[in-house]
Amino acid sequence: MGTPKAALEWHGSTLLRRVTGIVARATGGPVVVVRAPGQELPALPRGVEVTEDAREGRGPLQGLAAGLAAVGGRAEVAFVSSTDAPLLHPAFVRLVVGALNGEHDVALPQAAGFPHPLAAAYRTALLPAVEELIAADRMRPAFLFEACRVRRLEEAVLLADPAVAAFDPALDSVLNLNEPADYEAARARPAPEVTARCFGALRRGLGAGRDPLAIHAATLAAAAAAVGLELDEHVVAALNGDQITRDPEVPLATGDTVAFLAADAGG
Amino acid sequence: MADVPGGYFGRALVVDVTDRSAEHLALDGETLRRYVGGVGLGTYLMHRLAPRGVDALAPEAPLAFVFSPLVGTPLTTSAKFAVVAKSPLTDRLNDALASSHFAIAGKLSGHDALVVTGAREAPSVLLVDGDGARVQDAADLWGLPAADAEARLRERLGPAWRIAAIGPAGERLVRYATVSHDGRHAGRGGLGAVLGSKRIKAVAVRAATKCATADPQRVLAAARDLRERSFGPATAKYRELGTLANLLAFNAISTLPTRNFQAATFAEAPQLAAEDLAEARGVARNSCASCSIGCEHIYATKGGGRVRVEYENVFALGPLCGVSDPDAVLAASARCDALGLDTISAGGTIAWAMECAEQGLIDAPWLRFGDAGALLRALDEIGARRALGDLLAEGSRRASAEVGGEAQSLAVHVKGLELPGYEPRTLQAMALGMAVNSRGADHNRSGAYEADLAGGHDRLAGSAAHAAAAIVTEDRAAIMDSLILCKFLRGVFADPFPEWAGLLGAVTGWDVDGAELERTAVRIVLAKRLFNLREGWTCEEDWLPERFLTETLELESGRIAALTPEQLHTMIDAYYGGRGLDGDGLPDADRLEALSLDVLVR
Repeated sequence: MGTPKAALEWHGSTLLRRVTGIVARATGGPVVVVRAPGQELPALPRGVEVTEDAREGRGPLQGLAAGLAAVGGRAEVAFVSSTDAPLLHPAFVRLVVGALNGEHDVALPQAAGFPHPLAAAYRTALLPAVEELIAADRMRPAFLFEACRVRRLEEAVLLADPAVAAFDPALDSVLNLNEPADYEAARARPAPEVTARCFGALRRGLGAGRDPLAIHAATLAAAAAAVGLELDEHVVAALNGDQITRDPEVPLATGDTVAFLAADAGG
Repeated sequence: MADVPGGYFGRALVVDVTDRSAEHLALDGETLRRYVGGVGLGTYLMHRLAPRGVDALAPEAPLAFVFSPLVGTPLTTSAKFAVVAKSPLTDRLNDALASSHFAIAGKLSGHDALVVTGAREAPSVLLVDGDGARVQDAADLWGLPAADAEARLRERLGPAWRIAAIGPAGERLVRYATVSHDGRHAGRGGLGAVLGSKRIKAVAVRAATKCATADPQRVLAAARDLRERSFGPATAKYRELGTLANLLAFNAISTLPTRNFQAATFAEAPQLAAEDLAEARGVARNSCASCSIGCEHIYATKGGGRVRVEYENVFALGPLCGVSDPDAVLAASARCDALGLDTISAGGTIAWAMECAEQGLIDAPWLRFGDAGALLRALDEIGARRALGDLLAEGSRRASAEVGGEAQSLAVHVKGLELPGYEPRTLQAMALGMAVNSRGADHNRSGAYEADLAGGHDRLAGSAAHAAAAIVTEDRAAIMDSLILCKFLRGVFADPFPEWAGLLGAVTGWDVDGAELERTAVRIVLAKRLFNLREGWTCEEDWLPERFLTETLELESGRIAALTPEQLHTMIDAYYGGRGLDGDGLPDADRLEALSLDVLVR
């Protein structure tokens, strides 16, 4: 595609920035990016860690091993995503991670007739098994799935989740960009539809009767611009009533509600 | 008084109203520099003048009106005064601020503070001007709302007099009664009851002199600069909608305490929102004397009255009690003004009683969440100390102890002070701030919510890292409350301590810098803690009500907001460590000496 996938732009942010942001939103972290040795990466949000493949070009199991090792004992379950997933939705991530119960080691979505090992959840305790496979040069994910307990998540199971059904009904979360045409098709899609709300004096600037407002925006900056605001020392945002942030690059997903508040909230 | 710094008179007037005697207490330059004025100087005066272990409502308990070096200068928002005493609600040190002409006239009576001790047999007023102090009978004022007493007394004395008064709640020793001036209240902690216990209905002051500043030109230049900055975006919220703008925003982020903190969102919040109510009810916007912000938003009440509207009174008398009718909330707010009740403690105590009544823990079937009539009836009974109101007038801590059992775990207070409108489980730096603050659960002496709402840390995951926010906002409050500058101005200071030092230096002539002022802040914070210590404080009081540590909240995002005892312990330990305190929250002798606090504990 002429540009490393991680750095491809999608509605105002790089794919890597978007995917790490979505995963962080859904899991709470830690978020680890696995790169090829010496690979240059676009800017990452604060707190995202970077680790390297031990050897380049050996496929997803090599990256999985590096990522699981970096997470270490900080989490029991890790969601693993490729970087070229612009439509990955936090509800999908939460569902897949939550589907990994005590009886399984991998929660593996099945969509459009294929398993999606790079949109799946893995028990971090699988690291020795993954390393054994690498040592044996058995580098396909299928070999791992033969060696552990896999919960396959069929489309019906995925869509039984109300949030996934509402915000990702076509299961676009598993969509990858393998060809330039895939990328162009993804870019042609509109930015996610989100709800913007403004409070206090900020609402007055928006005009009467215009709150809440349905807009298309893939980042907080785009959402702010859509309501005539800029995130600065006087304006902050809360995403779905959760964390407060001034980071304009926080990725948004369909169904999000963004509340813009005066930064000097309080008495 | 040649060595008195600019902005000061170097003396406090101490009046014993029992025998009408008065004497001057000299305040040397070193003391003034250590404690500045306002809350800081008031804390020093309580150490000096309050008998150890005194009952807050005993005649011997002093109550101080404390001014500050900036009062009377053209610096915007500086016309404020502190009222400081031992609280009858918390039995700990209490300070509350109010604003406007009383501050200027009181200081220009020629004193940095007026201290009232003793008690009268009959209702009286205290007058202070250049001729000293007089006590006059005031039986005709007893029973009046503070505003009416103030108007009548001013009519009698003349327009040059400025008056702080108590309402019927203060007369009846309601433990969260206010001291009021020009419709504004030194609200928290029951200082109105302290004045009521002395049977002093009002204190009237009249300017008699001027107070020179060290560098008038520099003060004037700073005042112009500050005034210009006060018109900027950092104060827009206060100008445009006032603090009630918090309500709907807090509801959106699950920080709006509802039904005695059983929830953090209120479905009917839009009915009470400034965004809409301001259009329908707003009739005026006012400023305190010497203020260029103009935060006061006056709404019309049903029946033709007017009431000042702020977030705290609407939160406490609205969502906290489950009441969504704006007419009822405005009426309740006006009722609190008339009675002289702190709206936060009134709402908090009534909300506690509503939950107790619904659970059958108290016999009050008429008292239910969401019942506006019950809210108004409860306020009237409290103001009159009648029926159930006599119990509720004691505040939620004492009332719950009286009821006993499960009722105690429903009482939402810290050190006896009911919580303001900030949900601790979703604002966890603020949770720490409220737990450790000397005044009790408080948003004006600890503004740690600023850090929670700024996005610099995870507001739902309290940790040792959150302690820094509690410390820095407490320090800033200590200086702003001592200079005194209104906290609504805080956002215009990019580098607060050096900027405040510049203002203080221009007024006083001191070569004070930001670092010194930061040490001063720590001294004032710890001086308050030391006062509480001598009054019986133990570190068990630095804690939060059980509800916050055993019940969780679910956010719109699906995330669960929980605060565990372990988290709170971790934050408190980090706070103590950051303050240089030991594991029991106490400073050691070296720390006291380094801050020149050793003289207070000898």
